Amino acid sequence: MDPDKLIKEAKARFEHKSAKAYLQEKYSNKLQIADQGGLWKADPQTITLLQSFNAKTVILVDTFGNVVEVDRKELLEKLKALYQYVMKEWHDELKELEGKR
Amino acid sequence: MSRGALLFAFNNEKYDYYAMAEYTAKRINHFLDLPVTIVTDEKSLSSKTNYDFDKVITVEADTTNKRDQATWINKGRYQAYQLSPYQETLLLDVDYVVNSDLLSKTFVVGDDFCCHDTTSFLMYPGAPQEILSSYSFKTLWATVVMFKKTDRARQIFECLEMIQKNYDHYANIHSFIAGVYRNDYALTLALRIANGHSLLPRDIIPWNLLHVGKNTQVYANNNTVYNTEYTVMFDNWKKGKIRKEYITIKDCDFHVMNKDIFVELMQ
Repeated sequence: MDPDKLIKEAKARFEHKSAKAYLQEKYSNKLQIADQGGLWKADPQTITLLQSFNAKTVILVDTFGNVVEVDRKELLEKLKALYQYVMKEWHDELKELEGKR
Repeated sequence: MSRGALLFAFNNEKYDYYAMAEYTAKRINHFLDLPVTIVTDEKSLSSKTNYDFDKVITVEADTTNKRDQATWINKGRYQAYQLSPYQETLLLDVDYVVNSDLLSKTFVVGDDFCCHDTTSFLMYPGAPQEILSSYSFKTLWATVVMFKKTDRARQIFECLEMIQKNYDHYANIHSFIAGVYRNDYALTLALRIANGHSLLPRDIIPWNLLHVGKNTQVYANNNTVYNTEYTVMFDNWKKGKIRKEYITIKDCDFHVMNKDIFVELMQ
């Protein structure tokens, strides 16, 4: 069945709220990364925290609540790269969906 | 270290689960690059097409479970640990539509066992989580389970067997209806028992299981074999009238609760 035809015939409306919720769900998952024995989320808080230190290694609590010693710079670079990559994808898909009616 | 996926598929009066398993297996091969073993019965094997599973394991189907006036052969999932030919196994329901490599992460984020404890519904953001009963636990989901061959994982599956075989007893304790056996409920209890009546954060997959639920239809946006773009349509009842709403999704795994919708996607 052709979805475009179906949308037209059913006079279906694009549901922006649900679309945003789906994007949030999908891209939040992609922000997770397992590294150096812990699970991390590439979110602004973790990136900012890592940036605020100078030491070579820092001890952090990971997503599962485990305390893990990490190479600060290495993790920071990975989280920043992942954050930028995922945000770009998220933004692009959002733009694509925003045009729908 | 061998790694692969395991699917249980037993045909009933209504649905060809073996065909569903073939469809899902192809997507697992393509998106996750994993071999797939099927656990089935001799009767279901008659649906076999030209797709070759990594291994085909036949067992005796337990036909004692009924749902919606049909036999629902979902018992025996506890055998996954013994039957899996892999050291690291992704155990999936056949109606899970793989559209990305997301599930590869389960082998890395989990220790030796993990499953979902939280769900989201497409087109129904903020839907409440299922619980066993008002006074019991939030349901864990057997739809996606990753396990490795360890003593602890074996114990979890042994607990699953114990609960399946004494389901009425556990239903009585936790005040849920025992009429229809559900692997989700059995897993909810088994994992807690094996962990000393607690739940370990590492046993939970750190993202939500995405469902396609009631009043929701899914249509593939094109006919390519490994299509990953879908239109999801929802009947929203407002003031006694249905308003059709839709979204489009891509590269996103989801679990289809309605088997008729899954069958349509396969075509």
